[in-house]
This record gives sequence, C-alpha cells and structure tokens, in this order.
Amino acid sequence: MIKTLLIIAIIYIGILATLSLASRQRQKSTASYLLAGSKLGPVLGLFTFAATLFSTFTLIGMPDFFRTHGVGSWIFLAVSDAAMVFGIIWLGAYVRKKARNKDFKGLSGLIGDCYQNRFAGFVIFLGAFIFLIPYVSIQIRGIAIFLNATFPEALPTWGWALSMVVVMLIYSETGGLKAIIYSDVLQGILLLVVIWIASFVCIAYFGDIQSMFKKVEQTNQALLSVPGPKNLFTTQFLIASMLAIVMIPFTQPQVVTRIIIMKSQRSLFRMAIGVGCFAIIIILPTLFLGMYGAVKYPGESTAVFINKVLIRDQSDSVAAFIIIGLIAAAISTADSQIFALGAELRSLLKGDDKKVMPVTRVAIGFFAVVSLVFSLFSSDQLVLLARTSFAGTALMGPMIFTGIFSQNKAGMLIPIATLLAMALFVGSLLDVIPGSFWGIRLDICLFTVLAIIALLSQYAGNKSVPAGDLKKVTDT
Amino acid sequence: FYWIFCCTSAIHKPALWGVPYTLWTGIAVSILLVLITYIGTK
Repeated sequence: MIKTLLIIAIIYIGILATLSLASRQRQKSTASYLLAGSKLGPVLGLFTFAATLFSTFTLIGMPDFFRTHGVGSWIFLAVSDAAMVFGIIWLGAYVRKKARNKDFKGLSGLIGDCYQNRFAGFVIFLGAFIFLIPYVSIQIRGIAIFLNATFPEALPTWGWALSMVVVMLIYSETGGLKAIIYSDVLQGILLLVVIWIASFVCIAYFGDIQSMFKKVEQTNQALLSVPGPKNLFTTQFLIASMLAIVMIPFTQPQVVTRIIIMKSQRSLFRMAIGVGCFAIIIILPTLFLGMYGAVKYPGESTAVFINKVLIRDQSDSVAAFIIIGLIAAAISTADSQIFALGAELRSLLKGDDKKVMPVTRVAIGFFAVVSLVFSLFSSDQLVLLARTSFAGTALMGPMIFTGIFSQNKAGMLIPIATLLAMALFVGSLLDVIPGSFWGIRLDICLFTVLAIIALLSQYAGNKSVPAGDLKKVTDT
Repeated sequence: FYWIFCCTSAIHKPALWGVPYTLWTGIAVSILLVLITYIGTK
C-alpha cells in the first residue's frame, strides 16, 4: 500500500502546486486574493461550497455518529442540510444585494457598515474566531489521529497535525482563494468517489442492504430509530441542530463569502440545488459505513473504528485513495476557514491593500498556529464539536439579519445582546452555567431571546423613520 | 402566490426493503425539501 500511497500523494501534491502557482498573482488585492474575483459559476460554486461544508466531519465524524447514535443521524444532518439549501434561495439574494451595495470585503466589515459602528463588526469577528478555531482544529485533529492510527511508527499525532498546517499555509498563502476553490473541486470529486467505493465494500460484506439492517437490528435495535441508543436525538436537539445548520450560510464567514462571490443570483440558486443533491449522495454512504461499524466494531474507539473501516477492510489501492481523500478533505475545509478569518480581519482594517494585505497574510499564519495548538488538546467527538461551532455562530444570525434587513441604521442593543449570549453559551460549554433552563436547551433559549430582540429593534427602528424617508431608503 | 405557497410548504421495525421507517422518512423529507427548493428556483 505504501508504494501506491506515495504515487497518489505525489500526483496530488503536484496538482495542488500547479493550481496554486497558476492562481498566483503578483499584485495581491483584496478582490483577487481574498474574493477570487467574485465571478464564480454554479459548478465551481457547488464544489467549493460542498467541500467547505463536507469535510473530515463528514468522512470520519458521520460514520462514527451513525455507528453510535443510529439512523437518526440522517435527520440531524441530511434533513437539516436540505432546510439550509431552502434558506439559501429564500434569503441568499438579500444578503448578496446588501453586500454588493456595501463593497463586501468580509462579513465583519459588512455588518460594521450596516450598523455604522465598528463594535458590531468586532462582535462578528470575535464570534467567528471563538467558534471557527475549534472547527478548524477538529479537521486537523481528525486526520492526525487517523494517520497516527494507520502509521503509528511514522509520526506522532502532533507531527501529522503540523505537517498538514504547513502544507495548507504554503498552498493558500501562495494561491489565495482562487487556488482554494480549485482544490475544493479536486477534493469534492475525490471525497465522493472514495466514500462510495468504501461503502460498497461494507454493503457487500452483508450481501445487501436488507441483510445489513437485519444484522443491525440483532446487534442493537435502538440504532434503527430516534432518539437512538444514547437518547441524543430528542425533538429539542434536532430543532436546535437544524437552526444551527440553517444559519451556516449566513453566519460562518467562509460560507457567506462563497454566497457573495457567485457570479449572479441565478448561479447561486443553481449552486444551492446542487448542494442539496450533493448532501444526500455524500451522507448516504456514511450511513452504510456506520451500520457496518455498528455490527462489526461496536465497542471500538473512533480512531480504531475509522482505521479498520476505511483502511484495514479495504483493498490496498482503495485505502491509499481514501488516505489522500481524507487529507484533501481536511486541508480544503481548514484552509477555507483560516483564510476566511484572515478576510474577516481585513474587512475590519482601514487602509489601502498595499498596507493591509501583508497584515492579513501574517494574521492567516497566526490563526493557523492557534488552530494547530487547539487541535492538540481537543476531544475526538468530531460531530458534536462541529455542532457546537455551528450553534455558536448561529447565535450571530439575528444580529446579521437585523443588519441586512434594516432600512436605516440598526441600533446597538442587538450586538451587545449577541456578545452577552455568546459569552453565556461559552460559559455553558465550560460548565460554568447550566446547559438548559426549565428543560429547554440554552442554545434554543438564547437564539429565541435574540430573535425577539432583533424583531423588536427592527420594528422600533422602522417606526422611528418618517414614512417619506423610509420610502426614499427603500427605493434606493 | 406560488412563491409564498412554496415558502409556506417548505419504531424499530424495518419498513420497505428492510430499511427502517425513520430512515425512509428522513430520506423522503430531504428529497421533498430539495424538490420544493428546485420548484422555488423555477
């Protein structure tokens, strides 16, 4: 397998280097380096959006999630993703319209402009930093523990994590967002192919799908319905997760950027439909991998289970492709997120590109190092950590929509309330305050309160503008 | 009217072909939501 792996790795790195150098530009302006020229068609848009969403979290996290919690995982992720796709066509056009009017450089800068106050922009940047860094870290950690389990003699976990961050930084610093988008296409196709090949091997082990579910029923019947063996999929958990996932395209900077840089509204809509279909065909094989694991490896740790299902039980050439596919998935998602944090900082900085871009590039390096350090200490619960990241950034949703839909200067009550809500949410993660009140999850409570404040401030704001002025603003 | 209608619209035993009821329901809802979204873009 080592020989095959080396050949595929050399080809993959060669393609990455070619794409990176081809995308390289001497003059690194915000528009070309951070926003890739903002003329993305539906096919490139689909793959870069999908590769940013479906990553290590999907390929390693979801099989383990299906194995542990059962078929309810489909409701948790696939149904929520379908709802998210509807959200994109319902609200995406409004976000694009506002962004184009405000000379978009990043979500933080856009919201700062909407509120006409830099504090609002800093709240968004702080939220993105606090909740994206753990998300980047789980991409790095997920692959590092997997590679360490596969090649225990080669490098320690931190060595694999460091190698990935170095490759990621060299690549994205050289080629910018355009290079990241091209690598996303490569990763999206690779991920789709390897995960389906691996899942066919798992189905073949049982003979057919019917026999597979019969075996699962004999092993652990609770896996075949909600709430699952560990009672995770309660109605509250599923609704809270759906809210968090539906908010991703409007609250996670790396995804917002991809909505804004689409060539046109029509391209955005076509891309959204593509993402909906992609979600179904990428999550389905992870179900087969998980059910296989539930029967064959019910008691194993995440790292051992993933190592067996994706490497030991596959043929050598398939295993080699899976390893490269996994590394590609982790790199493409993590670099998008780190790059987005750099773009967020850039959008808050005043000054011309010549002065600000070097600072942005140093910041991208800093965010990568912070993610690397965090990855060495985070847990192996990839899906639940990712969900926490989604839930954290979702708290910024009411504030972002208030900024987007306000026809005049939005008040500062909602940014202050959002900052407080994020602090409370982090407090609950650190067990400083309870995770639920009166039997209702804290994330649902906070989101509901913020939504009510947003609606009231929107109502009060519109009321305070004379009707004639309001019409003038609307017409422009 | 169509757009508003579109926006407004949007057990362990195995069922058909041995696939659990919960999974069938989940797959059906996912496909239906993507289909409604597609109609929305039309």
